[in-house]
Amino acid sequence: MPREAEPSLNEKQFVLQALQENLRLDGRELDQYRPLDLSFGDQYGVADVTLGRTRVLAKATAEVTVPYADRPLDGIFTIATELSPMTSPAFEVNRPTETEVLLSRLLEKTVRRSGALDTESLCLVAGQKCWSVRVDVHVLSHDGNLIDASCLAVVAALRHFRKPDTSMDAGVLTVYTPAEREPVPLSWLHSPFCVTWSFFGDEADIAVLDATWLEEQVRVGSCTISLNKHGEICQIAKLGGTPVDAVALLQCTSVALTKVKEFSDLLDTKLAEDLKRRDKGGFMAELRAENER
Amino acid sequence: MASDHLFVLPGETIDPALVPTHKKHPLRLGPGLRHIPPSDIVPTVAGQLITNPLKNSMWVEFNSQRYIPTTGDLVLATVTRNAPEAYLCSLSAYTPAATLPHLAFEGATKKTRPQLAPGQLVYARVALAHRHMDPELECVSAATGRADGLGPIAAGNGCVFDVSLGFARRLLMARSREDGGVGVLEMLAGQDPEVVVGGAGGGGGLAFETAVGRNGKVWVGSESAKTVVLVGRALQETDRARLGLEGQRRLVKRLLREMR
Amino acid sequence: MTATTAPEAALGILPRADGSAKYSHAGYTVTGSVNGPIEAQRRDEHAYEAHVDVIVRPAAGVGGTRERHLESILQSSLSQLILVKDFPRSLIQIVLQVENSPENDYVDTKLVQASLNFSIMPALLQTAVLALLSAAVPMRATATATAIAVAQQGDHKKTIIDPSPRDIETAHSVHVLAFTSHDELLLAESEGDFTVRDWDDVYETAKRICCRSARPKEGMAMVLDEDDVGGPDMRHFLQSTMESKVAADLHWK
Repeated sequence: MPREAEPSLNEKQFVLQALQENLRLDGRELDQYRPLDLSFGDQYGVADVTLGRTRVLAKATAEVTVPYADRPLDGIFTIATELSPMTSPAFEVNRPTETEVLLSRLLEKTVRRSGALDTESLCLVAGQKCWSVRVDVHVLSHDGNLIDASCLAVVAALRHFRKPDTSMDAGVLTVYTPAEREPVPLSWLHSPFCVTWSFFGDEADIAVLDATWLEEQVRVGSCTISLNKHGEICQIAKLGGTPVDAVALLQCTSVALTKVKEFSDLLDTKLAEDLKRRDKGGFMAELRAENER
Repeated sequence: MASDHLFVLPGETIDPALVPTHKKHPLRLGPGLRHIPPSDIVPTVAGQLITNPLKNSMWVEFNSQRYIPTTGDLVLATVTRNAPEAYLCSLSAYTPAATLPHLAFEGATKKTRPQLAPGQLVYARVALAHRHMDPELECVSAATGRADGLGPIAAGNGCVFDVSLGFARRLLMARSREDGGVGVLEMLAGQDPEVVVGGAGGGGGLAFETAVGRNGKVWVGSESAKTVVLVGRALQETDRARLGLEGQRRLVKRLLREMR
Repeated sequence: MTATTAPEAALGILPRADGSAKYSHAGYTVTGSVNGPIEAQRRDEHAYEAHVDVIVRPAAGVGGTRERHLESILQSSLSQLILVKDFPRSLIQIVLQVENSPENDYVDTKLVQASLNFSIMPALLQTAVLALLSAAVPMRATATATAIAVAQQGDHKKTIIDPSPRDIETAHSVHVLAFTSHDELLLAESEGDFTVRDWDDVYETAKRICCRSARPKEGMAMVLDEDDVGGPDMRHFLQSTMESKVAADLHWK
């Protein structure tokens, strides 16, 4: 029996009343995101996203394994999102809730199915060896909008990640350790991001971006649009909820494009900063390795 | 009255010289301390040890987020459902429900008792809190039979904001600005000469009312939704950013500018 | 090559948890959250005490048997620290998320089926203790922990404090010990081949690291050099971290 934390009637009614006057409880505009912060860990492939009071940590890892029998020329790419009680005591380990299933499905469609990561480049020996890239998403704090934060974290982690270098010599595959050769980045095709709209009111006529946990309890419908900065849409998911006017939905999509361009710029900036920071450190690390040999 | 700032960790020994003594009153231990017979007093949390020689009491001052029901506390509860003879109310998320008897209201009889809907807010007092039992609430003083400001809060009026327990305690102090260092409510109500609000309330400030629950919940009610949001943001920001009085003044001025 | 970096901690970093802490030391970074006392599920509740539930999540991959083993060890240690009798039928939920483990650059690691390193246990316990203190869960005492490896150096054994993955590979045995603030042994786990003599040396070293007097008296400033222990002063670290947290909380006084 899962636990539930239900907000009071006052809170729910007030959130709606305030929205009807164009007010949000934290003073934001209806289409404004909370302060977004992205940072990388010391190891390659670790991305930490803070969106207001929501925090998501994504870690990308890779290992050599056998490819699937029906896809001998492709590598394996999986995204794991297991919510723990750290997210909220309402979640239990090994008991997927609707939130978890939806999150995992949306990330799957956005990042995997859209071909953001070139799985053919993960193949090492056709039918025998390939890379299995895995991204673990850990939600450290849940204050709404897990989808957008998780997607950004996953994409950031994958673009930051470096897999060990390999070489093929007369049928013998050599995988180099990080000490022998610098790891190489993944073959990345495009960066998709998710933008989730929440709808309020009997006619679902109030559209709001980046809902907090409280706003999510009050909303009558939500729509997640995944696209990249070129305007190529990966998926649009509106699962149930009050019907929304089609023209309004188109407007939401165009605002989403603006936000995605902002995300993309932020990610590029942060990656460049991280690279610069590592260049000084990376150089020293190489020296250290050579000395010890 | 308060002793020097003595920082304690759980399990530390307290210098017996610090323990107050009194000719008439027995020593009273407040939160954060436990008594190991015959004469050991040991802290159970990390905080500041405070002694009050006048009332012969001592406790550990600390801040936390999870409310543990204590008899006599004023709390803001949310009705979850109606049970025979009582309402089941939630004091905080993921904790057992507290019972509020149907007749624990001022002048209530079986026919004239207030009807509370699930989700409604109630300002009540903890009548019974024991670790082996679910807590019990009351909206009327057992001694006088009067409500003294307790009772249901009308639905559709205002909003509830979460704050830390230490901040709620400071708000509930008789002189919250002098003793607790919290002046935001006075500033917003126009009672601080250094902050000019220019609102509709008496004294040139904003018009609003509040109910503070020791369980970390503050209800803010007003005719204007903007006022409610403003007061709520001021309270939460003061709590989270740990602002002093000067910081609170700057915060109030900034919020008033933003929300004009 | 053991880099003795000082331990670092940040408290209250997860805004929605009752208590939280992020602790890093010797290459390990663990984030812990504590929620409680909250309502326990029927199957977990005890009539006279609180149920302490520890969940350990590795950074990558799904947790396996090793994580469950770590959880059960931590649960029995933490249940002794927390005053469980004060909250019958309740649940104290502790989740420890591993964010970073020191990597061995000379070995290709298998990550999906990788099990957590044994020597992550001190970091896990320390994070849990800090998170519990941050949540103000009533406790009997605090605890400090450390990991020590015993390796061969020439013809005699030497103890390595906070061993790196390289050290652990070449060591004979690895030990994790934790002491309460009353100088009692709380946890003692060992892996590998060792003699009773080895264990006694390890015990003495661990006690010196974990039980050094937290408040330095006058004239004690030079002790560190004489001691030749080289490890961090865990109790002092714990105390100074909590002292700054309490000072920040009670800024209004």
